[in-house]
Amino acid sequence: MNAELLQTFLDRHGADPARWPAHERAKVEGLIAGDPEARRAFEKARRLDAALGRYGDAAAPDNAALARLTAKLNGPLPAQKRPFWRLPAVLLDWQFAPAWPRMAALACCAVLGFAIGLTGIDRQFDTQTTTSVSSSDVSASVFESEPFPGVQP
Amino acid sequence: MDDSDEALMAQVAKGDQRAYRELAGRHLPAMLGLARRVLGNAADAEDVVQEAMLRVWTHAPRWQPLAAFRTWLTRVVVNLCLDRKRKARWVDLEAAGEIVDPTPGAAERSETDERERQLAGAIAQLPARQRTAIVLTYNEGLSNAQVAKVLDTTVSAVETLLIRGKQNLRRALGNLINED
Repeated sequence: MNAELLQTFLDRHGADPARWPAHERAKVEGLIAGDPEARRAFEKARRLDAALGRYGDAAAPDNAALARLTAKLNGPLPAQKRPFWRLPAVLLDWQFAPAWPRMAALACCAVLGFAIGLTGIDRQFDTQTTTSVSSSDVSASVFESEPFPGVQP
Repeated sequence: MDDSDEALMAQVAKGDQRAYRELAGRHLPAMLGLARRVLGNAADAEDVVQEAMLRVWTHAPRWQPLAAFRTWLTRVVVNLCLDRKRKARWVDLEAAGEIVDPTPGAAERSETDERERQLAGAIAQLPARQRTAIVLTYNEGLSNAQVAKVLDTTVSAVETLLIRGKQNLRRALGNLINED
């Protein structure tokens, strides 16, 4: 790793070894320990990081602003935005414990379905009578070709 | 009783105002600090945080716990800050760099500490996303992966923002950071 790559590494991950990727930490620490130029780059990065941390300290929020915000939020609140379509709350809140009554109900429904299918109670709904809509041949009027297609007036 | 952010948010989704105020009280100071650092302006930061907290209330029924509540809220605040920065026609950089420290004697301290002022000015001049990445990393203590989640981008894009941001800061500050 040359000086430029080390600088990029320090910019990317900062000067705190705890934030460095584990697989690169030992290599970078060895480089810093053995190379004076790398050591100087590390010290510069450490000073910049410390300065950036101090910037955060200086911008700590003030109590007056917090009090104003709290007072505003303690006032009347606007209406909440509900989703346009919601499953019934009972489905969303469905708890699966204890499950056995629901499983028993599901099994009963399945058995009832098989029984209906086997006994043929539903067969009358499937039978349909064929109804003639018209005896005349309407295809000629529907599919009659246009005279001189493509001819412009 | 579960008093995690996510559990409170579930109560807020049902219209529980007490849970909402507890949740807001927990996160207001951190979000206000974040907005002030990103925007560099206390009044705008207050507006942004108020809007973000109202969105927590109004959007609670649609909120899905796909990420931690704190991450989602940070994302809302950051997006509102970036929107505001985009809409701002121009910014007085000198004024933007000075973030008022409310603690006693702060004015005198800031006058004497020229380096801190210059640093604040240099950070204020960074492009908004570079500045946001730096604030989230060094002030919020987020990892690069967490910053990527907040900014809705990739880790490598965040690393590029950090690299360019620091290059810009070094250029702006010169030897200032070496005089420790």
